[in-house]
Amino acid sequence: MRTVASIALDATCYGMTLFMISVGLSVMMGLMRIVNLAHGAFAMIGGYIASYASVSLGLNYAIAIPLAALCTILVALPLEVVLYRRLYANSDALTQLLLTIGITFLIIGVANYVFGPTLKKIPLPASLSGPFDIGFRMLPTHRIFVLACGCATALALWLLLERTEFGIRVRAAVDNAGMAEALGIRTSRIYLATFCIAVGLAAFGGVVGAELLPIEPYYALRYMVIFLVVVSAGGAGSIAGAFLASMLLGLADTTGKYLMPEFGEFFFYSAVILIVAIFPNGLLGREH
Amino acid sequence: MRKFAVSLTAFAACLFAGTAMAADPIRVGIVGTMSGPYALFGQNFKRGIDAWVAQNGNKVGDIPVEFIYRDEEAPNPAKSRALAQELIVKEKVQYLAGFYFTPNALAVAPLLGESKTPLIVMNAATSAIVEKSPYIVRTSFTMWQNTKPAALVAKERGAKKVAIAVSDYGPGLDAEAAFKGTFEAAGGTVVEAIRMPLATTDFSPIMQRIKDSGADTVFTFLPSGPPTLGFVKAFIDNGLKASGVKLMSTGDVVTEPDLPNIGDAGIGILSTYHYAVSHDSPENKAFIDQFVKDGGKFDEIAMTSVAAYDGARLIYKMIEATKGQRDPDAAIAAVKSMSWVSPRGPVSIDPETRHIRQNVYLRELVKVDGKLLNKEIQTFEAQPDWALSKK
Amino acid sequence: MATRAGPSGIASGLLSPELLGFLVVWALGTVGYVLFPDDLAFLTRIVSIAFLVLSLDLVTGYCGVATLGHAALFGIAAYAAGNAARAGWADPLVLLAIGALVGAVSGLATGALIARFRGLPQLVLTIAVGQLVAALCNKLGWLTGGSDGLSDYTVGPLFGRIAFDMYGRVAFLMSVAILAVVFALLLRIVRSPFGLLTRAIKDDTVKARMIGASIYPRLVAMYGLSGAVAGIGGALGAITAGVVGLDGVSFERSASALVMLVLGGAGNLWGALAGTLVFHVFEHLVSTANPFHWMSLVGAMLILVVVFAPRGLSFGAIVLWSKLRARSP
Repeated sequence: MRTVASIALDATCYGMTLFMISVGLSVMMGLMRIVNLAHGAFAMIGGYIASYASVSLGLNYAIAIPLAALCTILVALPLEVVLYRRLYANSDALTQLLLTIGITFLIIGVANYVFGPTLKKIPLPASLSGPFDIGFRMLPTHRIFVLACGCATALALWLLLERTEFGIRVRAAVDNAGMAEALGIRTSRIYLATFCIAVGLAAFGGVVGAELLPIEPYYALRYMVIFLVVVSAGGAGSIAGAFLASMLLGLADTTGKYLMPEFGEFFFYSAVILIVAIFPNGLLGREH
Repeated sequence: MRKFAVSLTAFAACLFAGTAMAADPIRVGIVGTMSGPYALFGQNFKRGIDAWVAQNGNKVGDIPVEFIYRDEEAPNPAKSRALAQELIVKEKVQYLAGFYFTPNALAVAPLLGESKTPLIVMNAATSAIVEKSPYIVRTSFTMWQNTKPAALVAKERGAKKVAIAVSDYGPGLDAEAAFKGTFEAAGGTVVEAIRMPLATTDFSPIMQRIKDSGADTVFTFLPSGPPTLGFVKAFIDNGLKASGVKLMSTGDVVTEPDLPNIGDAGIGILSTYHYAVSHDSPENKAFIDQFVKDGGKFDEIAMTSVAAYDGARLIYKMIEATKGQRDPDAAIAAVKSMSWVSPRGPVSIDPETRHIRQNVYLRELVKVDGKLLNKEIQTFEAQPDWALSKK
Repeated sequence: MATRAGPSGIASGLLSPELLGFLVVWALGTVGYVLFPDDLAFLTRIVSIAFLVLSLDLVTGYCGVATLGHAALFGIAAYAAGNAARAGWADPLVLLAIGALVGAVSGLATGALIARFRGLPQLVLTIAVGQLVAALCNKLGWLTGGSDGLSDYTVGPLFGRIAFDMYGRVAFLMSVAILAVVFALLLRIVRSPFGLLTRAIKDDTVKARMIGASIYPRLVAMYGLSGAVAGIGGALGAITAGVVGLDGVSFERSASALVMLVLGGAGNLWGALAGTLVFHVFEHLVSTANPFHWMSLVGAMLILVVVFAPRGLSFGAIVLWSKLRARSP
C-alpha cells in the first residue's frame, strides 16, 4: 500500500514536470497551429539565463525565474518578427518542421559556443533543496515546488483563456482569423502576445524542470520528442488535456520503470500509441 | 582503367615517399567527438595531444608529426568508417587514433590490416575491440577493469546486500556482469540488478525499487552526462543517503566536470576509476599545468585527455621505432609491454591483449578548500582488463 | 564510364524522365568518382542515405504522411542484412534483396497502422513507433549487438568475384548503379496511375474518395514500396560500412532525413536527391573546416532556405524539368 502511494506520488510529480515543460508548446500548437520543434530550445535558453543569473550574478532563485522568462521572450521576439510570422499564413507542416529544426540547430550551436558543452546548474535555495519528510517517505523538496508551480500555471492559463477579454480574442483569432480581423481584432498582435506567452512558459518550464532535465546544449534536441508527444496526446491547445496527458504518461512511465525498469521506454511509448490511436485529436483536443 | 592505374601509382609513390624525403611529416588521424553532446570528451582528446606535443615537440628525431582531427559526433559507425577511410586514403595518415564510441571503433577495425595502419583507441571501452585487429592498442580503460575493484571494495567494507543499477546498453551490461560476478564470488549477495533505459530522466521509481530491495549498498554505472547527475540527485533527494544506504560507482558517474552540479550532497560517494584529476604526482601536475597553460579550463579536464596524452606517447614511440616507415608490425611490437609513468600513475601495455594495464583507485568525494574532488584513498595496482586477462 | 550509362536497350523501353534520371545519377556518380577518388566512402554513405530520403519522399511528398520515424525501416533492414551475412549469406546482391524484402514487410506493417491517421496524430504515431523500434533494437542484443553494433559478419565479393576494396571503389560503383536503377524505377512509378492517385489523395482526400479511390490500401501499398527502398539503403549501409549501429534506427536519423527532404523539396524525387546531396556536402565542408561549431551553420542554412526558397531547393529544378517535359512529345 505504501509502495503504491509512493509510486503514485512519484508519478504525479513526474507528470507535473512533464506538464510544466510542455504546456507552452501546447499553447503554441493549439492556438497558433505551429508544430514548434524549437520549444525545447526556448526552454533551454531560459535555463541558461537562470543559471547565469543565479551563478554569475548571484541572484535569488525567485528573481532568476521571472528574469529568465522575460529575457527568453526578448531573445525570441526577433525570431517571431522575422521568421515565425511567415508560418502563420502558411500552414505547411513540413516547412514548419524545417524552420523550427533550423532554429533549434542554430540555438544549440550558439549555446555550445557561448556556454560550453558542460551541464549548467541552477542552484536551488536551501528551502527547496534536499529531501523533505512527508510522513511515510522522503520526497525531493523541489518536487513539491514543481507541483505548486504546475497547478498555478494550469489555473492561470485556464483563467486567461476562458475568462478574459484577451482569451476571447485569442479564440476568435484561432477559429477564424478573417472574421476576427473583420470584427476589428488585430490578429497579428494577438499572435505576437500568444507567442510571448508560449515562449515565457517554455522558459519557465525549462528552469523549473531543470532538476530532472538538466540544462546543456543538446537539451533542445534530446527532449524534443517528449514535449511533442505529451502535447499531442493531450490535444494541442487544451490546457486540461496537456495536464491529463502529462499525468497519464507520467503514471505509465513511473509505474513501468518501477515494475520493469529494463523495459522502461516501452511503457511510455506504448501508452502514447494507445492514447493517440483511441483519441486521434488528443485526450481533450478539438477536431481541426 | 588508366585513371585507376595512375592513382594506384600515386598511392604507391606516397607509400615510398617516406624513404626518399625524411622531412615529410608523419600524419596521425584523430577521430573524436568534436561536436555534439559528447564534445567535451573529443575536445579533451585534442587538449591531451596538444599537451604532449607542447612538452615533447612536434618532431620525433627529425621527423615532423602532424595531427589531423575529424568529428565522429555520435555513435555512427558508417560515418566513422568513411572518416577513417578518408584519413587513410586522402590524408595519407600513418596512424589512426581517438574514437569515443565502441561501434565507431569496431567499424574501423577491418580497414587497419589492408591499409597497414595501427589504431590507438583513446576511449571506446568494450573489451572485444582489441581482439578485432592485431594493430589495435588501447590507452583508456574497460568496464571490467574499473568495476572489479569496486566489487572488492564493497565486500571489504562490509556490504552484504547490493543493488546494482546500470544504464541499459553495452558498457552498463559489462559493469553489471563484472560487479555481480566478482561480488558473488567473494560471498556477497546481489539482491537486485536494475537496467535503466538510457533516456531515463526521472530516477524516483528506480530509487523506490532499490529501497524495497533492502539493499545496504548501491552500485551504479551510467555514462557521464545528464543522467548521472539525475541519478545521484535522486539518490540523495529520495532519502536513500540519509537512511544510510551507501553509493558506489565507477568514476564515470562522478567525473570532475559534473562535480559542481552534484554539489555538497554528494560528499562521501565512493568510486573506482583509473584517473582522478586530483591524483598527486609530479607527472599529473606537469600535465595539468600544461593543459591549463594551453587554454584548457581546469574544470573541463576529463579522463579522455589523459588517454590521448598517453596515446600520443605511444604514437611517438612507434614513429621512433619504425623511423617514420609504414610498418605496423614493428610499430605495435615497439609498444607491446612498454611501461611508463602516466599522469594517472604507473601503466604498461599488456603484450597479450594490447590493452593498458593500470592502477585503479578507490576515490572518495570530498571537499578541499571549497572545491569538490575525488580523493584517492586506496590503490589496486596494475589492473588488467579482467574480461580478457585472468591475472 | 559514360559508355556504361547509355545501354540504349533499356532506354527504348522507358520514357525520357526515367532515362534522364538514370543518366543524371550515373553522371553525378561519375563526376564524384573522377573528382573525389579519395572520398568514395563518404560518397557511398550519401548514396545509402539518399535511398532513405527517396523512400521518405514516397510517403511524405507523394502521400502527405508526415513522419519522424522513417529510419526504423532503414535500420531494421540493415540489421536483417547484417544478420543474413552473419548466417552465411555473403553475396551482396542477395543481402540487398533481403534488405528490400524486410524493408517492404516492415513498411507494410507500420503503414497499416500509420495510414489510418492524418496530421498531428500521425506524426506522433510515427515518432512513438520509431522510438519503440529503437528501444527494441537496443534490447535485442543477440540480434543487433546492442549499443556496440552488429559487426561480426563479412560480406563476400560482388558477383562472387569483385572484392570490396579499401578505397571503396567497388562499393561506390555498386551503390551508384543500384541508385540509378531504383531512381529510374521510382520516377516511373510516381508517374503511373498508382502514383498519380496517391498524389490526388494527398492533395484532396475527399475528392479522391469521390472518384472512387479506396485510399487506405493505396497508402499502405506505398508504405510497402517506401519500405523496400529504405531497406535497400539500409542493406547498402550494412554492406559498405561493415557495421550496423543503433544510429540507423534513431530519431536523429529520421529527423535529418526529413530535413534533407524538405530542404530539397518534398513531393519531387529530384528534390529528395538534391536535398541529400546538398545537406551532406554542406555538412561535410563545414564540419571539416570547423568540427566544433558546424551545427549553427547548418541551422542558419535551413533557416535561409525557408526564408528564400520555401518550396525547397528543387523548385528551380521543377521549373526546368517541366520545360523539358513540355518539349518532349
